[in-house]
Amino acid sequence: MNISVKIGNVTFKNPVTVASGTFGHAERFYDLEEVKRLGAIVPKTVTFLPQVGNPPVRIFETPSGMINAIGIENPGIDGFIESKLPALKKIGVPLIISILGHNEEQFVSIIEKLNAQTGITAVELNLSCPNLKHKVLVAQDPVATTQLVKKIKSLTKLPIIAKLSPNVTDIAEIAQAAEAGGADAVSLVNTFTAMAIDIKTRKSRIGNFTGGLSGPAIRPIAVYMVQRVAQHVKVPVIGMGGIMTASDALEFLIAGATMVAVGTGNFINPRAPVDVLEGIEDFMKENKISDINEIIGSLKK
Amino acid sequence: MEKIQNKYKVLGNEKLSPKYWRMTFDAPELAAQVKPGQFVHIRTDEDGLQPFFRRPFSVYRARKYVEIFYDVVGPGTKLLSLKKKGDMLDVLGPLGVPFVMPPADAKQIVMIAGGIGIAPMLILSDILKNKKYNLVLIFGGRDRGHVYPMQEFKENGVKVHIATDDGSVGAKGRVSVLFDKIEKDPGKTFIYTCGPNPMMKAVQDFAAQHKIAGQAACEEIMACALGACLGCSIETKHGFKTVCYDGPAFDLDEVKFH
Repeated sequence: MNISVKIGNVTFKNPVTVASGTFGHAERFYDLEEVKRLGAIVPKTVTFLPQVGNPPVRIFETPSGMINAIGIENPGIDGFIESKLPALKKIGVPLIISILGHNEEQFVSIIEKLNAQTGITAVELNLSCPNLKHKVLVAQDPVATTQLVKKIKSLTKLPIIAKLSPNVTDIAEIAQAAEAGGADAVSLVNTFTAMAIDIKTRKSRIGNFTGGLSGPAIRPIAVYMVQRVAQHVKVPVIGMGGIMTASDALEFLIAGATMVAVGTGNFINPRAPVDVLEGIEDFMKENKISDINEIIGSLKK
Repeated sequence: MEKIQNKYKVLGNEKLSPKYWRMTFDAPELAAQVKPGQFVHIRTDEDGLQPFFRRPFSVYRARKYVEIFYDVVGPGTKLLSLKKKGDMLDVLGPLGVPFVMPPADAKQIVMIAGGIGIAPMLILSDILKNKKYNLVLIFGGRDRGHVYPMQEFKENGVKVHIATDDGSVGAKGRVSVLFDKIEKDPGKTFIYTCGPNPMMKAVQDFAAQHKIAGQAACEEIMACALGACLGCSIETKHGFKTVCYDGPAFDLDEVKFH
């Protein structure tokens, strides 16, 4: 049975990964023997300088989902390379490093620092964090998306994945823009800008005022967006949005995703990525499918 | 490393007062490992997604079995209260940083708890009872419904003082009306507190005034409880810290209570 998939020139042993920001920097509580079984892991987004994150309250539970505005709390690229990367490399699972610059120079500086490291499999450009008070996200502007991806591609041999925002009129247009810039893959969706209000205080439930909605509540929209993007680009799509189980993940694969990422589901069931992987294998056995490529993009009309 | 995610069987689930419930589950590995102040993160709706998050609970007691103590305040604890003997629960734990033990020369150990903040204090007294400390519990509840016999504390030799907002049990007023039970000797007294933030702020101010050291067990809404999502951060003297991973136990003077 073949469950390996290809992104750029890299072959991943299976299509299951995690969404950045939902797996920390592979914290001490994770069972690393199980983590090792995943196709790849994506640690929390790293910025150029350290960030302390947004003031509390940072999360709010919603029906089948959550709103978060963490604000990319992270040690910055130098701190990450020094204090986090060695332990991540030791796990022995391919690493996709998610990075975010507040401008092109910062993206460039981060990628140059990553170029000097070994043991990194690919880089995801977080073009779509909704919680950083940027007026317009890179992933809301097709021209900016193409330019940035092109610039980063010219500086590195690492495969580049563009992480897209669902907070746009047409996500396929942005995916095409990333592809035009040379992206090796696109990943979607990041969270949906959202808010919840405390009716007693008439204030937002979130310290940052707005946050991003994730979890099974958004899954049908994410499946639709992945399906639409897969129709419009040739590069692989990494699909995510509310995946809790293998059947959720299979929806994304059938819709056209080459890889799937468990995000918020990690918070509810830390074993969810491994459950998803085992469930995909069981599904293939039960349906006598010998190659995962028979599932990817197999949506019937 | 022991697995932190396990299925445990519910052995009992009883209402101890109009407000409080105690659940017991069969978790020998957890019972052997857990330390006072640590917590478990329970999935109350395993088949559905309502509520979506797990719910964190301080461990109330860990002898042969593990006990949690809870108040039915929302959909998660409501579901928990419906669990029956024999039901299986998906539990993460033990999690978080436990209370530090008192300094060796301490004489009086004062536990100050408000409402459900009593939860981490019994396991603490179980550990401290054989160490020749003078153990005191100052407990504050809104009214009679928030008070229960606390027999286990008395069996541990803890001197129990109670205050209720309406005076229906014990002294009338907030826990601060009982601060005169505390020996104001920084060299001999050590405080543990858990409860609503305004109460812990009052305890912090009192402790600062008398230069008494202590620990506070904090609570915050949590998603992962593993230090991954960074959702349960609170403000401390040393910047934002997660309650789940850097806490729940912090030095009393470290936390900025709002």
